[in-house]
Amino acid sequence: MLEHIAVVFTFSSLLTIAIGTTAGVAIGGMPGLTATMAVGLLVPFTYTMDPTAGLMLLGGIYCGAMYGGSIPAILLNTPGTPAAVATAIEGYPMSRKGHAGLALKVSVVASFVGGTFSVFILLMFAPLLARQALAFGPAETFLLALMGLAGIISIADENSSLIKALIAGLLGMIIAIVGTDDMSGSLRYTGGLIELIDGIDFMPALIGLFSMIQMLELAGMHQHEIDTSTLHKTQKREPLPKGIGKHIALGSGTGTVIGILPGEGATIAAFISYNLSKRISRAKELFGKGNPEGIAAAESGNNGCVGGSLVPTLTLGIPGNSVAAALMGAFIIQGMIPGPELFTEYADRTYPFILSLFVANGVFLLVGLGFAPYLARIALVPPALMVPVVGAFAVLGSYALNNAVFDVYLMIAFALGGLILKKLGYSLEALILGLILGPIAEGGFTQGMIIGKGSPWIFIESPIAKVMWVIIFLLLLPPLYSYYKNVHLGKEDPV
Amino acid sequence: MFKKSILAGIVVALGLTTTAAIAEYPSKPVTIIVPSKAGGSTDRTARLFTEVAEKNYDGFEFIIKNIPGSGGQKGFEAIARATPDGHTIGLVFTPQLVAHIVSGRAKYTLDSFHIMGNTAQDPAIVVVPKDSPIKSMADLAAAAKANALTVAVNGIGSDDFLAAKSFESATGVTFNLLPTKGSTEQKAAILGGHVDAAFMNLSQMIKQHQAGDARIIALLTEERDEHLPDMPTAKEQGYEVFMRATRGFVAPAGIDEAIQTRLDTMLAEVMATDEFQEKAKTGSIFLLPMTGPDYLAYLKDLMAQTKAVYDKAPW
Amino acid sequence: MTKKTADRAILALFIVMAVLLYISTANYPGIAKTTSAKYVRFLAVFIGLLSTVQLAHSLYKDRSHNRLVLTENMPRFLGLLAALIVFALTFEPLGFFIPAAVFIPVVAIMLGYRRPVVIGLTTVGVLLFVYLVFVKLLAVNLPGINF
Repeated sequence: MLEHIAVVFTFSSLLTIAIGTTAGVAIGGMPGLTATMAVGLLVPFTYTMDPTAGLMLLGGIYCGAMYGGSIPAILLNTPGTPAAVATAIEGYPMSRKGHAGLALKVSVVASFVGGTFSVFILLMFAPLLARQALAFGPAETFLLALMGLAGIISIADENSSLIKALIAGLLGMIIAIVGTDDMSGSLRYTGGLIELIDGIDFMPALIGLFSMIQMLELAGMHQHEIDTSTLHKTQKREPLPKGIGKHIALGSGTGTVIGILPGEGATIAAFISYNLSKRISRAKELFGKGNPEGIAAAESGNNGCVGGSLVPTLTLGIPGNSVAAALMGAFIIQGMIPGPELFTEYADRTYPFILSLFVANGVFLLVGLGFAPYLARIALVPPALMVPVVGAFAVLGSYALNNAVFDVYLMIAFALGGLILKKLGYSLEALILGLILGPIAEGGFTQGMIIGKGSPWIFIESPIAKVMWVIIFLLLLPPLYSYYKNVHLGKEDPV
Repeated sequence: MFKKSILAGIVVALGLTTTAAIAEYPSKPVTIIVPSKAGGSTDRTARLFTEVAEKNYDGFEFIIKNIPGSGGQKGFEAIARATPDGHTIGLVFTPQLVAHIVSGRAKYTLDSFHIMGNTAQDPAIVVVPKDSPIKSMADLAAAAKANALTVAVNGIGSDDFLAAKSFESATGVTFNLLPTKGSTEQKAAILGGHVDAAFMNLSQMIKQHQAGDARIIALLTEERDEHLPDMPTAKEQGYEVFMRATRGFVAPAGIDEAIQTRLDTMLAEVMATDEFQEKAKTGSIFLLPMTGPDYLAYLKDLMAQTKAVYDKAPW
Repeated sequence: MTKKTADRAILALFIVMAVLLYISTANYPGIAKTTSAKYVRFLAVFIGLLSTVQLAHSLYKDRSHNRLVLTENMPRFLGLLAALIVFALTFEPLGFFIPAAVFIPVVAIMLGYRRPVVIGLTTVGVLLFVYLVFVKLLAVNLPGINF
């Protein structure tokens, strides 16, 4: 192990990791640039690099991008990645109150802890855990998606109407069914458009519903409403709130576990962590109004996915999410086919790669802490300048994902439609959650039905499924009970 | 309107300068359209080609353009629509290329392309979980007759799907087919024992087979494969089921003959270099060089077979 | 339009969509009949029910007369929207750089920003950044004119 550590702590390795991680933070922070895209596009370039250095570069991008998504989410309410949507729910209100610096600090510390914990698990227990994760089949995947969707109730129960949040979530799931029906290969609701055969990508939706709506709202504001009085407050360094450790630990554990499971994990992990943290918090009523505990849980949750997702990727060749899949391409190009050989024959490359992820987490911690006060000032850029710049990136980002102008129109349509829904009290966070988790739920449900030969019993049968149902009920019952109590006692108008 | 007039302008300009174009070819970088995501096996094949070609051919520069989606259809359409001036070529993969034509989704036909030649292949395989009682194709057929086996294929209309369908019609069994999104889900389903068998490709499962995490029971090619020489084919086991994925180069139809010949020759020469073959081996790309006419014949044959399956059970 | 009316119209729209969605599942082919169709029907029934409850509640309880205000400054709002659509329309023939070089200063001035030096520097900065990151580093293929 010592010789592997020595490989990481050479000047050139450290420089490579630092460049990759910093670039990753920038990529994650830009709406429309995703880690999947960056890693995918850079894989061919690592082909000509030293194998270990190439992998370190990509690993750095992965770690950095997962954290980077939270920066614009907190400052501008425009999450750079879907996994940062939960962060925006708490982070943006904090920024509005002048606590942007603190929100950024909580986010980077939580990301660091979550990321480091998950890499530690990857280093120590990868092969063992990967075997366990295999027991997780399509039926369990369906239940995991349900657990994520339970987050809708959490988004709703204090701020807006529960029924409207549910409608928004279902609407997202319905938008997600457009495209090819995976079961029959037939097309549904595409209206003959070749662009819709693969369905509606969540990225144009994310950019439209958050970045663009935010810009449209800023453009339509009266000039005097833009508050610059927070400048002095953001400059003040605030200590981390007490008791935040509990929420970071919760998020780190949840994120790592969910990361290990096959399927798109980071968004689910962030929302489940956020939801759980709200359940155990003493200050539930502050959620949705700028509670740092929510940021801590969500960010440690999505960064926990990084190490987690690499567990099945490296040991079994089953990538835990799309970034890990792109990363796997880089391993294969170097002749390192995932499997036990990575830890024996190629140990001199694999272990330095895993160890480099610790360094990457350290790098973004330094970058985040060092720049947080300066980053916080981004929120003070005059909207008249911010709007066109973010607008241009929104157009570019929507296009670049699939090289399709169609996605740009889609982004504009989501912005306009989303704005109307938002003004009528529908939760856009619920909508995007439905849009992202809908396909996972559908895939798990339909595949489960086939494996179960048409019997829904498969969704309850396994011990894992039973445990998951208990968790789902524990997540749902308290908010539903308090909702019922409020309606019953007539404390507030629920709709 | 605007777009159309620009296109018209380009067409006119090309008509006037055709003769000059040959002398100056290539006058700009050649775009290679890759109908899949960056980092995948098709993408890697293209990048390997460009790396070796740029080194050995002065004046040639290549740009890879990834147009993923719809089982390659978006990219195939883009190649077919490209201006035939030799500055755009592309990769195609089978059986998706012909499957889209057969299912009536494609706007292109085989005539939309000039087929330059095949580069790589990936044999189809049948794989079962490691502790499965199924040890051969005969076991598979017998088990499938006794009760419907759940069998994972990578989406409807894919090579796996067509192979499973042709096994069904060869033996008269009916599988409980599980279409997955991508080979990753298939792999997870086999390693976790959630399905009884899967039709996949060799490169996706060879390591897992060698590590004992899954068991390949047959190759669906005419001959055995050098990467797994002990593995018998389905044909040896008495089942005439054949399927392999291929990845070849095509150009839009109608390129000036002199330019087209240069490109075809370059492809053949690059594939023959030691450097190309060496790198393909490291990157787990199984080579199967075929000339343009041979590959075209293969595609036509495959299309007829695919149509037979489609007519029986359309998707 | 009042908020109430807009809300009711959208809920009615959701109900119609739910009904159409439910009916459409009857035509799902093959195996999708017993798998995907069930999932889609579940979504249709749920959104239909919830929308009906919400609509009923609105019809019985909602006595408000608030207007639906999408934006406080309609000219700027529509201006930005139009600029975006023009950007998208010119994206394919002209590429990213030329439309962006027009879009950024025009929108900034439209929104009342009046410091030409800052606008110019910002525009150049964004274009340079995109060129370096997208074109040089990631080699993303932007359409139209490439430099």
